[in-house]
Amino acid sequence: MEGLYQEVLAITLRTLWISGTATILAISWSIPLSLILISSKNRISIFIQDLFNALISLPTVVLGLALYLILSKSGPLGFLGLLYTPLAISIGQSILITPILVSIITSSFQKLRDEVWETAITLGASEFQASIALLREGTLLLIRAILAGFNRAVGELGVALIVGGNIKGFTRVLTTTIALELTKGNFELAIYLGIVLLTLSTIVTVAIRSLGIRGAYR
Amino acid sequence: MSSKALIIMVLAIVLSVALLSLVYMLSTSGKQVVLRVSTTTSLYATGLLDRLADEFSKEHPNIVVQFIAVGSGEALRKAELGDADLVLVHAPSLARKYLEKGVIYGGRIFAYNYFVIVGPKNDPANIAGLDPIEAMKKIYEAGEKGYAKFVSRGDNSGTHVRELMLWRKAGLNPKGKPWYIETGSGMSQTLMVAHEYAAYTLSDIGTYLKFSSKLTELKVLVDKGDILVNIYSAYLVRESKNEKYAKKFIDFIVSDKGQEIISSYGGEEFGRPLFYPVKIASIEELKRMWNELAEE
Repeated sequence: MEGLYQEVLAITLRTLWISGTATILAISWSIPLSLILISSKNRISIFIQDLFNALISLPTVVLGLALYLILSKSGPLGFLGLLYTPLAISIGQSILITPILVSIITSSFQKLRDEVWETAITLGASEFQASIALLREGTLLLIRAILAGFNRAVGELGVALIVGGNIKGFTRVLTTTIALELTKGNFELAIYLGIVLLTLSTIVTVAIRSLGIRGAYR
Repeated sequence: MSSKALIIMVLAIVLSVALLSLVYMLSTSGKQVVLRVSTTTSLYATGLLDRLADEFSKEHPNIVVQFIAVGSGEALRKAELGDADLVLVHAPSLARKYLEKGVIYGGRIFAYNYFVIVGPKNDPANIAGLDPIEAMKKIYEAGEKGYAKFVSRGDNSGTHVRELMLWRKAGLNPKGKPWYIETGSGMSQTLMVAHEYAAYTLSDIGTYLKFSSKLTELKVLVDKGDILVNIYSAYLVRESKNEKYAKKFIDFIVSDKGQEIISSYGGEEFGRPLFYPVKIASIEELKRMWNELAEE
């Protein structure tokens, strides 16, 4: 039982680490991309926003398969040797959650710019004070977007299974372990791990909700 | 797009590339050789392979064995794409195709056991103790009359390939029949579906035993006949750069020590071993059976 506990802990930490890396990667290009999209109001940027909106529901197995063919030894990026490594999962998940981050950031910031900024100015705030208000409100929205992306990354199975390979002690994460334990017939352990996963994403969701309420209250 | 925006974008890309390479360096540190083994699920899910790998790494601490558990069809395909150094499969007819293509070579039989036809306890098709082909005919008849259902893997796995062979030998094609259910998933899920539907299915004995405490509606009805022998073989992959290490692993699992682990695995838990080792006396017989199965 001791060994099992340690393994579950290791898998949970690995999941957080892999999906956390994915989220950081996604943030690093999603925020600048979103800001560009907001600032340039031409047809192309609207098209890109629509495209990202559509890509939110991209099936993970489709992305996983595409990445597999790209990262495979016989694929165009096979020389990197990334297939079946934790980094391959991180990259896949970062691509998966980019549309979520971009969509949330662009839509909420556009609204925010219209509301907070105008209101602050109307209420007699200086431009500096208005910027502070915008930034403060914006930070909350940003965190919400990041948590939503992270939640999706932690809970996805397709990418982790296909490009990670579910290798014991290396690329095995919570979702792939659940799938494996199911094939082994260990329903009890699968449920136990499911609860761990659910707890994780519930914590994140509650965090998102509470940030949302606080944001709205202000 | 303004020049400011461009600068931000370039910075972002540089930042993420830097981050990526940092993580990459961290993840590939260490001087160990990684041996990728694509293997059939039925072998991996029993836990035998992890056991073998643990013992192997005691002798060769510099080699890390990583298993990718998929169906036999997918395992061989991965070898063709160059994503595996070693393949462990139990589908002679599939393996033969890849042997002929030159993707894999150096096959060694390292274990065997039996497929069994399991079905509902009351056995509506009356197949208990029959010859496997006769049993399939009876299931077909009962299915057509609406007394019985059959659950198929439907995933091009070794077990699925064997099931299709049984139907072909019986001269029947159940595909598309309302009583013929294809799950497209692993053995234990398929057994669970059979349990829920009180249906017949073909299973490897290892997975069935490992799982039998949850399958209260099912029992083994047919377990005799050469055509039910389930042969596990290991193959080297021609494209692999780790051939030397892959050979070491195969040598280990066919060695006395490896065979001892295979023959004792699961004995305590299930009252009978899940796999049989390949003894000198039986190797020629197994090779003959493998060839017969590969012809199909």
